[in-house]
Amino acid sequence: MQKHNANRPAVMDLLEHHGGLAPGVSAKVSEETGVPEADIYGVVSFYTLLAKPGVARVCQGISCAMAGCDALADALDARGEPYEKVSCLGYCDQAPVQIDRELELTKFGPVGSVTPDDPDLPINLAGHDDASYNALAAFEEMEPDAFLDQLQSSGLQGRGGAGFPAWIKWKAVRNEAAGIRYVVVNADEGEPGTFKDRETMLRRPHRLIEGLAIACRYVGATTAYIYLRGEFPAPRRALEVALAQARPHLTGLDIRLTMGHGAYICGEETALLEAIEGKRGMPRLKPPYPTQVGLFGEPTLINNVETLACVPEIVLRGGDWFKNLGKTEPGSKLYCISGHIQSPGVYELPLGATLNALVQAAGGYVGTPKAFSPGGASSGFLPMDYAETPLDFKGLAKVGSMLGSAGVVVLNDTVDMAQAVRWQQIFFEDESCGQCAPCRIGCRMQRQAIDAFIETGKVASLEHTEDLHWEMEEGSICGLGMVASLPLLTAQKHFPTEFEGS
Amino acid sequence: MSDLTVPILTGPTLTLTLDGEQVHAQDGETLLDVCRRAGKDVPTLCAEDRVDPMGSCRMCLVEVEGQRRLQPSCAFKVQAGQVVQTDSDKVQRHRQLLLSMYLADHELDEDDLPRERGTGNLLRQHVLNHGTGPDLPPINAPREYRMENNPYIHFDPGACVLCNLCVRYCDEVEAVSAITLAGRGAKTTIATADQKGLLDTTCEMCGGCIAVCPTGAMTEKPSLASNFQEEKVVRSTCNFCGVGCQVNLHTQDNKIVRVTSPPPGETVNDGNLCVKGRFSMEFVQHQDRLTEPLIRGKDGGLHPTSWENALKVAAEGLMAVRQKHGTDSLGFISSSRCTGEENYLLQKLSRAAFGTNNCHQCAAT
Amino acid sequence: MFGAGAMTNSIPEIRGTDLMFVIGSNTTEAHPIIAMEMKRAKKNGAKLIVADPRRIWLADIADLYMQLKPGTDVALLSAMMHVIVTEGLHDREFVDKHTTGFEDLVASVSEATPEWAEGITEVPAEDIRTAARLYATTEKAGIYYTLGITEHSHGTDNVYGLANLVLMTGHLGKENCGMNPLRGQNNVQGANDAGASPIYYAGYQRVDDPVAQAKFEAAWGTELSPTPGMNLNVMMKHMGGLIRGLFIMGEDIVLSEPNTERVEAGMNGLDFVVVQDIFLNETTRFADVVFPAACFAEKDGVFTNSDRRVQRVRKAVDAPGQARPDWQILVQLAQAVGYPMPDYQHPSEVYAEMAQLSPKFSGISHERLEDNVSGLQWPCPDPEHPGTVTMHSDGPIIGKAPFQTIAYRPSEELPNSDFPLLLSTGRTLYHYNSGTQTRRASGAVAKQPENFIEISRRDARKRGLDDGQLVRVSSRRGTVIAAINISPRMKRGCVWMPLHFPEANTNRLTNDVGDPVTQTAEFKVCAVRVQALVQAAK
Repeated sequence: MQKHNANRPAVMDLLEHHGGLAPGVSAKVSEETGVPEADIYGVVSFYTLLAKPGVARVCQGISCAMAGCDALADALDARGEPYEKVSCLGYCDQAPVQIDRELELTKFGPVGSVTPDDPDLPINLAGHDDASYNALAAFEEMEPDAFLDQLQSSGLQGRGGAGFPAWIKWKAVRNEAAGIRYVVVNADEGEPGTFKDRETMLRRPHRLIEGLAIACRYVGATTAYIYLRGEFPAPRRALEVALAQARPHLTGLDIRLTMGHGAYICGEETALLEAIEGKRGMPRLKPPYPTQVGLFGEPTLINNVETLACVPEIVLRGGDWFKNLGKTEPGSKLYCISGHIQSPGVYELPLGATLNALVQAAGGYVGTPKAFSPGGASSGFLPMDYAETPLDFKGLAKVGSMLGSAGVVVLNDTVDMAQAVRWQQIFFEDESCGQCAPCRIGCRMQRQAIDAFIETGKVASLEHTEDLHWEMEEGSICGLGMVASLPLLTAQKHFPTEFEGS
Repeated sequence: MSDLTVPILTGPTLTLTLDGEQVHAQDGETLLDVCRRAGKDVPTLCAEDRVDPMGSCRMCLVEVEGQRRLQPSCAFKVQAGQVVQTDSDKVQRHRQLLLSMYLADHELDEDDLPRERGTGNLLRQHVLNHGTGPDLPPINAPREYRMENNPYIHFDPGACVLCNLCVRYCDEVEAVSAITLAGRGAKTTIATADQKGLLDTTCEMCGGCIAVCPTGAMTEKPSLASNFQEEKVVRSTCNFCGVGCQVNLHTQDNKIVRVTSPPPGETVNDGNLCVKGRFSMEFVQHQDRLTEPLIRGKDGGLHPTSWENALKVAAEGLMAVRQKHGTDSLGFISSSRCTGEENYLLQKLSRAAFGTNNCHQCAAT
Repeated sequence: MFGAGAMTNSIPEIRGTDLMFVIGSNTTEAHPIIAMEMKRAKKNGAKLIVADPRRIWLADIADLYMQLKPGTDVALLSAMMHVIVTEGLHDREFVDKHTTGFEDLVASVSEATPEWAEGITEVPAEDIRTAARLYATTEKAGIYYTLGITEHSHGTDNVYGLANLVLMTGHLGKENCGMNPLRGQNNVQGANDAGASPIYYAGYQRVDDPVAQAKFEAAWGTELSPTPGMNLNVMMKHMGGLIRGLFIMGEDIVLSEPNTERVEAGMNGLDFVVVQDIFLNETTRFADVVFPAACFAEKDGVFTNSDRRVQRVRKAVDAPGQARPDWQILVQLAQAVGYPMPDYQHPSEVYAEMAQLSPKFSGISHERLEDNVSGLQWPCPDPEHPGTVTMHSDGPIIGKAPFQTIAYRPSEELPNSDFPLLLSTGRTLYHYNSGTQTRRASGAVAKQPENFIEISRRDARKRGLDDGQLVRVSSRRGTVIAAINISPRMKRGCVWMPLHFPEANTNRLTNDVGDPVTQTAEFKVCAVRVQALVQAAK
């Protein structure tokens, strides 16, 4: 039990301040906050940036693996420098990458591209970051219901991966009984293959802040949190500068920047809330949903960076304008693309664009393409038969995949599918929070299965993967466990010849 | 390992359909409450009446019409008109697969069943009652533990299902928060801060972690060698402070080998015990116990004698004082440590046999 | 207090309370299981007010903590009453209907302002106001206390003060409220109930009441004395004088009574001593005869707990060697002196005899206890009665309850330049009283192997004392050796020691001055000095 008036949210910053996991640190932070020492140890041992502080990190994500991250590790080994292999650093467009102990990029490939400046795009990454806050001013002239009508007619869906209609959440939080409520920005972008929020915060931070301010005003929140991925120091600086510039427009609004500390699971909205509260990032049971019982138990609107960044132009140009930008579903979409591709980067295209259209924007394939992940590790693999399938929420779900965060990764025929599967399964095993049995045990089992297959070539190693996937999908608490077997299962399904064994 | 109590309906009710039958429930109840009242065999590992539901073991999932996925009955609230299935093909498949997964992450005995420990292993019972799915290879997840520096509590990570009950009990009920979930993923374990020995933490050694552990991963160190199935259990009242905790004294070969609490819900201690009640019974079998009557000899020392002689010497000695100095020169000191009957007899002895009201006991709180 | 000396409410009611006022009780260590109920209440949103000179663990989770100077409880309680009556927060209806003497009480606290009390207790006046308001305005509010209230030379006044608070706010006879002394030992309540008292037979029937006397004379077949006897503290003082022989069952008085040196001198002045116990102890050093007794796990009977709950004790193992249950020995001794005590075959027969003579528990029997797994709470006047969870639900049992005016007076022995520190004593979580049982428990020994003295950092530094260093602690009555334990819990000028260590018996220091009404000794306040045994190596 915590001491009376314990200061739990300060735990993370203090742990960071004291240098992360080391004997005596938990005791010190316990004294400073009134939170029990063991509890703090539970927290510090959960987050990799705190549990293993002060070392270089080499990305092992699929894009970095394909780009030759082993060479980076070998170089460090040769110099005898301590480092950690980590499952993804969020710079797939610049693969292979390495960060130093201050989390700054030290090794990276060519910098990624974005869609050229086009003022008719809602986010327009290449455009000038307008700090006029005209949209906020326009919103304040509108009746709340009129605004909601626009949001609804825009058809804006959550860009974090779930694709849930934004207006429903906004309305729900606004309609909760009077009292404190919060808006939280999910900027913990961590899906391998995804880096669109990073670019948005770097290039158009005011878009995000303006969208956030509109959200706060609409739902009646005076405090907002931006939960930013810990490995993103550059976006942090960009946001801090922008927040300082925006201050005249944000009267009565307290926007706090909370840094993550190395846990993919905190991108799950309720795990993210736990992290802001200074706890282990373990997802909560739903129901109740965050719109009812969210941050510190109060109604909370949680939106992805891209979702909020779409809002200013919806206010200025109307819902129908936004909706009509889409092809098969409403709006435009930031698609990330990396892997065997000429110009990896972020491209803002009509929602429902096909892989071929995206690749065309990105300068074409490298080599002969064989497979792609449409939405990061969680979406599994698809063969090139789907290159003309619209990349949208509904259509991809129908083919047993998903758009997710639209982190498209392309694999050419030099890649062994079993090896590709293994990279993804390592990611999920590393990032499972360990709370619920199906995911904790299942992620490890699937990884052991693919390891055993690669090592022995025996098909029997894979005989239970489907049962396990069924149980993980049916029985896990959160989405991580539900999708964690998809790389393996989809690869087995679409590339059967690569799993016939020896 | 504690049982869950069957909740009683006290207020207005609503109706839902459980396995095809209409059943009543109360607003605010969980599906598990309803299942228990209806006598459904819904297995659980991480549910406990004294702590908030966590829903992490996933054993109790049931099928709720309109819900895309199975739902944890321990946390899912009832609603009028719900249609719930506790034994559908889907639920059965889930249970058996999940049990297979647990087996792959658990220490097994020679019959390939979860090893019996402490006062029993609930996982073993679930496996026997519900069966398992495919044989899965062991997962060999490395789990650290170093909380051994203490005389009472043994933790074996190989038998831990990470239901987190020990941690939740320690925090929510005992409120000392000596242990935590530590690490992440398959390596998650139960730990103390900085992996210290329990003696060096806030742990008060109440042993509640043992009491709530479903699998015996937490056990009484002094009882490690004892097989609970051979133990005789006698219900009694703790002999320390004035709370009146009910205890089960487990005995074997005329020795107390373990002390547990009766299940929560029916006694004043509600399933809880403290370090004294659970662990401080070593005195009963201690070698220093008095085993024969003693009388003071001429040499000034105490010497063994027969009961007959001891009673005679005592009676004569006390009567001699009475004769010499009067009835009220004797005092009788009773004990709040003895039974009510004994206190009654002592005042009767004082008043009726010796004629004095000089009779008292130490504590007058 | 209101017609019966026991918790007015029940332990399981704590979890439903909205406010707990804990004073003079280190509940987490002395009554861990009750503390769990308090934590549960806290978790459910109840407020917690703690008043204790030592910053006990409960203070950490309390909404309001008052660190009063030891022995100043009366001033604190008077000021709380002052706030309640001057702000009109009392329960007029309850006061009119169920109490007497309110006007006198109001007059008696008219000067007891929180500012006045702050000067005595060192508790900020505003905190006293907050506590009084919270307590008075919360409907479900309970008071919980123990020896920190009673073991003072003004212990009775402390209890009256609490009772006044309960009465003026009407926190009596309702669920989750009341006045709740937490009993220190397994069967304190049961021993009192059974008549181990100089003034009461079993069931609180006075020895000087001719009707009661006649009833017990008829039942026991002998003449009985109508003169109230001496209580323990008085007996201790008269050892070697008026008292010349003692029969002692299950109590190490040499260790547990205050002012050990005086007790030892008294024991030496006795003609004959019989001790009945499970181990040799400090007291058996003076015994002429020692009877080996069975412990609780080796016999049958009942214990009655703090909330008047009669519960069964059952034999689980055989007593070692020739040791016998105390009840058998008592019968045999009575018979040996020629009194025809019946040959009871089982304690249930003894209980039946007691119940028949005592209306308060005449409805209770061993047989009924078999069917009632949670015990039976007295009053339970007949075999159909379900027992009483909350007492005084129809108004105080005695009819109208009187307010008792109280006035602050300092403790008997205050610090001076020779003995500058104020010593309080108590129990730790791991040990129990004289340590007979827990000093033989490996966990307790590992955690707390030797006597220690808790002292504030400032007081330790002033004397150049380091943590763990051995010191000589002296009072006007004696000296013991203990290890320094520098503790943030301690207030400056105050020290604290546990009572569990025969080889360094803290009661060599404590004061045997008693409360004028109950004679309960002032274990909680005496003056001491602390000196280094060996100069710290610097």
